[in-house]
Amino acid sequence: MFSLWLGAYDQGLAFAGLALGTYLTLRVLNFPDLTVDGSFALGGGSAAVLISQGHPVPLALGLALLLGGVAGMVTGLIHTRLGVNDLFAGILTTTALYSITLRLMGRSNIPLPYTPEGVMRLPDLGLGMDGRWAIALTLVVCGLVLLVSLLLRTDFGLSLRALGNNPTMARANGINQGRGLTIGIAAANALVALAGALVAIYQGFADVTMGIGSLVLGLGMVIIGQSVLRPRSVPKALLAAAIGAILFRTLIALALQMGLEPVDLKLATAALLLAALTFGRLRLPGLSRNSGEG
Amino acid sequence: MSLIVDQLAWGHPLPGSGWRQLFSNFSLTCPQGQFVVVIGSNGSGKSTLLNLVAGTLTLQSGIIQLEGRPLHQLRDYQRARMIGRVMQNPLEGTCPGLSVAENLRLAERRRRPATWWHDVMSIHPNAADRRRYRELLADLGLPLADRLDEPVGQLSGGQRQTLSLVMATLSSPDLLLLDEHTAALDPRAEATVMALTDRLVRQLGTTALMVTHSLEQALGHGDRLVMLHQGKLIGDWSSSERKALSPGSLRSMYGSP
Repeated sequence: MFSLWLGAYDQGLAFAGLALGTYLTLRVLNFPDLTVDGSFALGGGSAAVLISQGHPVPLALGLALLLGGVAGMVTGLIHTRLGVNDLFAGILTTTALYSITLRLMGRSNIPLPYTPEGVMRLPDLGLGMDGRWAIALTLVVCGLVLLVSLLLRTDFGLSLRALGNNPTMARANGINQGRGLTIGIAAANALVALAGALVAIYQGFADVTMGIGSLVLGLGMVIIGQSVLRPRSVPKALLAAAIGAILFRTLIALALQMGLEPVDLKLATAALLLAALTFGRLRLPGLSRNSGEG
Repeated sequence: MSLIVDQLAWGHPLPGSGWRQLFSNFSLTCPQGQFVVVIGSNGSGKSTLLNLVAGTLTLQSGIIQLEGRPLHQLRDYQRARMIGRVMQNPLEGTCPGLSVAENLRLAERRRRPATWWHDVMSIHPNAADRRRYRELLADLGLPLADRLDEPVGQLSGGQRQTLSLVMATLSSPDLLLLDEHTAALDPRAEATVMALTDRLVRQLGTTALMVTHSLEQALGHGDRLVMLHQGKLIGDWSSSERKALSPGSLRSMYGSP
């Protein structure tokens, strides 16, 4: 039983970058970004290609970050420079990313049967491989939360938060909206792609379809984290998003334990999110009524 | 900085068909440091003039210069760095989800030429920023000094508008635009905001354009009063000439060409 919870903890942490990226676009920038479905798979696929060719894992994670950032930047530029609607800009990029990821991978699925050496070198703690993964992923996610939290407390982060909060006022204060949005969306997708790479390494394979439903998954994680912890500051909100990812995977583990068929998981996730958007206090840009109250 | 509006033309399509030419060959010069109050009936072009100067509406012809720099040739954010603006709605001028200190920081950095490296490497607002804001607000006699970490959304309309005014003037703008900025306030808050407006405009020596519907404000504030009607300047009084006017005489001029 304990290994089930530890596995859920590990999976939650692997997905935490997705929750952080979703938080950044939806809650900070007020931008409904559908690119995440494509960038998650892009991160997983590109990392899998490098690792399967014998390149070091940190290099693969770095490439995933970079490519995710580029994907987000493309969505940002399509929206800000070409004036394409925010939702449609994300759909366009994510559609294109499917082909790009498939091209990169060369096939639809790449197995990654070996645990990275860095994880193997971590102390055992008597919990087997899941314990080692827990240490590695905790370190990575704590670093990410700290980094994003610090970034959002700088002048640059303040500009991003102002853009999401009141774009008219932000522009009146000399903030370049196009540049801010583009960089913000790029940063969010870099985090999402990193999560894709971590998930691929953790689960032992990358699949070109692994990003389907990522936005809904990320939203679910953010909702759970915010509902449970009710954060009142940016660092706490980021921590809540990461903890939301763990709670979300724990709920899934619980549901599977109680007999939910794995094939019904995405249906259950979508139904849960719909209920939260319809009846709950969550208001999201372009996704629910009165979204401006956010 | 002196503001020159020269040969301005601007119109807009009417619902259905047709065209309404609001401004034709409109000119107005405001010397450096002059506080100009603009009045006129609804549709006379007061707010449109402010929007054209601020760049939220695009010039169709003519030129608007601030100290010789044509404003319409600047990018939005470059123009925003030169102009402070307080809107009619207290919700529009601030970020309700950010704290008072964070809003002040946004306004303070408006003109500061920072490298992107500085933007991403230093935490703001920090303790020194907070101390500075506390002193500034206390100097201005504003009770916000003790509420720096509160979200602006929790402030009253008057407090938000006061903050909005402080933010608009914080980076010493070349031009201050006040668009009926007391219209949504109760009389007490209006008096506070107008007293602060006078003080800040004098203190900074900035050129200011204030649009108002209040004839009491028009007669009691600023260095110059101008009246618009259907995009034309139909009255222009210096502060000494204005002494001969009364709310009644101004009211009788409303709507007359």
